[in-house]
Amino acid sequence: MALDKDIHNTFADVVGEENICDDPVMMGAYFKTDFAAVIMPKDTAEVQAVVKLCNKFKLQFRPICTGWTGVFVPGTVLLDLRRMNKIIEINEKNMYAVVEPYVTSAQLQAELFKRGLNTNIKGAGSQCSAMLRGHGHLDQSCGADDRNHLAVEWVTPAGELVKVGSWGSSDEWFCGDGPGPSLRALVSTVVPPSVTPGVYTKVALKVYHWSGPAKYPLVGNSPKYTMSEIPSNMMGRFYSFPTLDQMWQAELKLGESEICLELMGFNEAMVAANITTCNEEEMAMFERLSKEVQGPGFFVIIVGDSPGDFAYKKKVLETIVGESAGKSLKSVEDAETEGILLAQCTRISASVRETFRPGGYFKSIPIMGQRDLTIRWAIGAGKAKLPLIEKGLIADDGGGFFGWGVEQGHLGKTEIFCKFSPMNPEAWKGVDAWEHEQAARALDEKYFALTMAPQEEIESRVGPALSNYHLWWNKVLDTIDPNGVIPLKGTSKLTP
Amino acid sequence: MALEEYAGDMNMCCRCSACKFIPLQMVKGYEHANSCPSISRYNFHFYSGSGRLNMGARGLDKGFEYTPRYLDSVYNCQMCGACDVSCKYGMDMEVLRPIQELRIKAVEDGHAHPALDKVVERMRKQGTMVPGGRGERGDWADGLGLVDATKQKVDVLYHAGCLTSYDKDLQGLAKATASILSKAGIKFGIAGNSETCCGGRAYEMGYQADFLAQAKKSMDVIKQSGAKTLVTSCATCYQVYNVLYDQFGLKGDLEVLHISQLIASLIDKGKLNPKNKVDLSVTYHDPCHLGRLGEPWIHWEGKKVPGDRFIFEPQKIYRRGAKGVYEPPRKVIASLPGVTLTEMDRIKEYAWCSGSCGGVTDSNPEYAEWTANERIEEAVSTGAEAIVTASPWSEKLFSETIKKNGGSLKVYDIVELVAQAI
Repeated sequence: MALDKDIHNTFADVVGEENICDDPVMMGAYFKTDFAAVIMPKDTAEVQAVVKLCNKFKLQFRPICTGWTGVFVPGTVLLDLRRMNKIIEINEKNMYAVVEPYVTSAQLQAELFKRGLNTNIKGAGSQCSAMLRGHGHLDQSCGADDRNHLAVEWVTPAGELVKVGSWGSSDEWFCGDGPGPSLRALVSTVVPPSVTPGVYTKVALKVYHWSGPAKYPLVGNSPKYTMSEIPSNMMGRFYSFPTLDQMWQAELKLGESEICLELMGFNEAMVAANITTCNEEEMAMFERLSKEVQGPGFFVIIVGDSPGDFAYKKKVLETIVGESAGKSLKSVEDAETEGILLAQCTRISASVRETFRPGGYFKSIPIMGQRDLTIRWAIGAGKAKLPLIEKGLIADDGGGFFGWGVEQGHLGKTEIFCKFSPMNPEAWKGVDAWEHEQAARALDEKYFALTMAPQEEIESRVGPALSNYHLWWNKVLDTIDPNGVIPLKGTSKLTP
Repeated sequence: MALEEYAGDMNMCCRCSACKFIPLQMVKGYEHANSCPSISRYNFHFYSGSGRLNMGARGLDKGFEYTPRYLDSVYNCQMCGACDVSCKYGMDMEVLRPIQELRIKAVEDGHAHPALDKVVERMRKQGTMVPGGRGERGDWADGLGLVDATKQKVDVLYHAGCLTSYDKDLQGLAKATASILSKAGIKFGIAGNSETCCGGRAYEMGYQADFLAQAKKSMDVIKQSGAKTLVTSCATCYQVYNVLYDQFGLKGDLEVLHISQLIASLIDKGKLNPKNKVDLSVTYHDPCHLGRLGEPWIHWEGKKVPGDRFIFEPQKIYRRGAKGVYEPPRKVIASLPGVTLTEMDRIKEYAWCSGSCGGVTDSNPEYAEWTANERIEEAVSTGAEAIVTASPWSEKLFSETIKKNGGSLKVYDIVELVAQAI
């Protein structure tokens, strides 16, 4: 459905004819969704102008930065922020970086490494926007989710420009809460909307100390880059434990000791995916590692500021792991494998191989919360995958799940995947049912309420379970989005 | 394989956007993170590898509609394969192959690009991709006393290629190659005016039937010469004879060598001794056809194994760009006295395209120059005095772009430097 010609021309007057496309044929390239148009503004002023026009013409819109998978409503205008791709500032003294939406995590991190700084690469991968809210391998030491967002420049759904935090009162980006207006709870939280209403045009990100090398000593060719040597004062190990409880105790103590750059509760299927270069190799490696582990485990990276610091961290790590009867996986101690994992986990966040490579698609239930509680839920969700695995509908990962502590604390992320072929309707059906059942079980058994849910589910079950937050959210949205240009009230899920 | 046979691959695309960037561990900073010229220049997702695959999947599902925008996305692509390498870092799926099939389908459905039509028409009539008559092809060898392989059987045939043969500015490359081969004691011949186009650029432009017809003519010339080995100084010709002809079962037992491979081997064996000092700081541009596209073809036929994973019986081994010709040119440069090499950020399998591939120099010269300029700026950022390449198409586009935009970066083919040093 192409735009009305006059409306098209009005948008084109803002962004230029070369930056708008409403050819219905070409919409096939975008998320298999029949968007009304794709528009590419170049700066905040153009974003504001386009959003105001969307309000004028009562057109719903959704912005994307680098984009990833996604589900969108047909007829929506897609604001592709690809042309907004500048690093505005790296402030080494105050340890933040200000970026536009299309700066990737890979780009920002490479620049930060040169300055002895680091950023958290989100699970979607370092090809994704650095300003993406989310979690990743470095959650233990590099913050996570909206906690890394400092000051924000935000175009509201109505097209108003709001400078959130210190950016609202000065030329500084160091704080999201002020001096200046603090709207973090509104614009930068996973509860309630899942999707930020309006458009972030610039975000200041908290950055962290990095004592690793400015550049990894990578050799070889794609798809197998290895390190010519493990960087000094750096080590990666996978530890498995006899029981889940012992693993959890070690995870807690390691968090409290604050020694880990990364503590990632990989299962062995994910390790296998990341250290191999194709599906067949991965399946064989999974079988091998499954025999090698003694139970659930996690991958740890430590980096020392000095040989002494490294020796201290190593000693603490080995002591804590030993107290929980953890054993290091010999396969990962191999220097080549260790190097592959170090680079994969810190620079890529390991995403594509472990999610999309098996069948082309995956669905997941991610939850942030008290780890011991969400782990217990995940055990059941993992077992519930087994029938799908037995039927050959999803990739065999042994019913695994994964998770990790955030910022060395007891709170953390727990997540579970189902990897399958998007071309298999039976797999879709089975995975959708699994997802629905496990989200319902989480609520019924009082583990958590999953807010990343279709609107109907939020209204019928999730909202009432969480103090009817959705009613409050709807009131907020009615105020900031008077013309209803935010699709689905900002939820990220459509009804299956 | 027809487009339909890549339906599974196209539906595997998860829109992660990895195809737009170099393999992520290799991103060295804010600059030079992009891999694909097309999406970098035109921005809409349908100019990326992922977008093209999604368009292909849509076409198979709903039928192909050749709107101006669609054709613009089909032809504004160098078919350089960078997206293919970046995707296959993580995924098991074909990317460039279905993109090539989309272009072939556009031509077969009557939507050829007018500018490319003219180029292919010239190949049909005169056996060349560039302007020039049949009787002039061998002019570059006048007075050199080289063996005429159409009259005398040879073991080694030197194939100069269309651009090197006809472009006055590049004929020196052919002469230098012949001189190096002679100095190394290689007994070789040339086909002179009988040499004909390899046809590879026509294939990239989408003219598969014309490519196959031209390939037959070209192989006839080679077979008549009796050559067991074909040596070429053109990266495109190297890829076409070595990979594309193999893909279509045309190559037979012919050994195909790029001149950089042969020189590296001759230096190793002590048959060439670069001893003259060439004071020059250089950076090296990996031509797509010598690098990632030059990886040998892997013959495979099989069926998807039913179930959750995109795997096949027998196992499909993917070409991921790692086995291109990367080390021989570097080895040759390292052997030249006085020459120092500084690498660019994007090298080998993830090198940025020069812009000269895929017919874009003919269909959209502005875009080709834009692409070349990106590479020139990357080369300049290394501090090198010169960019060295191993492809006459790259050399020509780099030289013309520098001339047009200004700049002091010198451009050399690797052969020209070797000729100075021996």
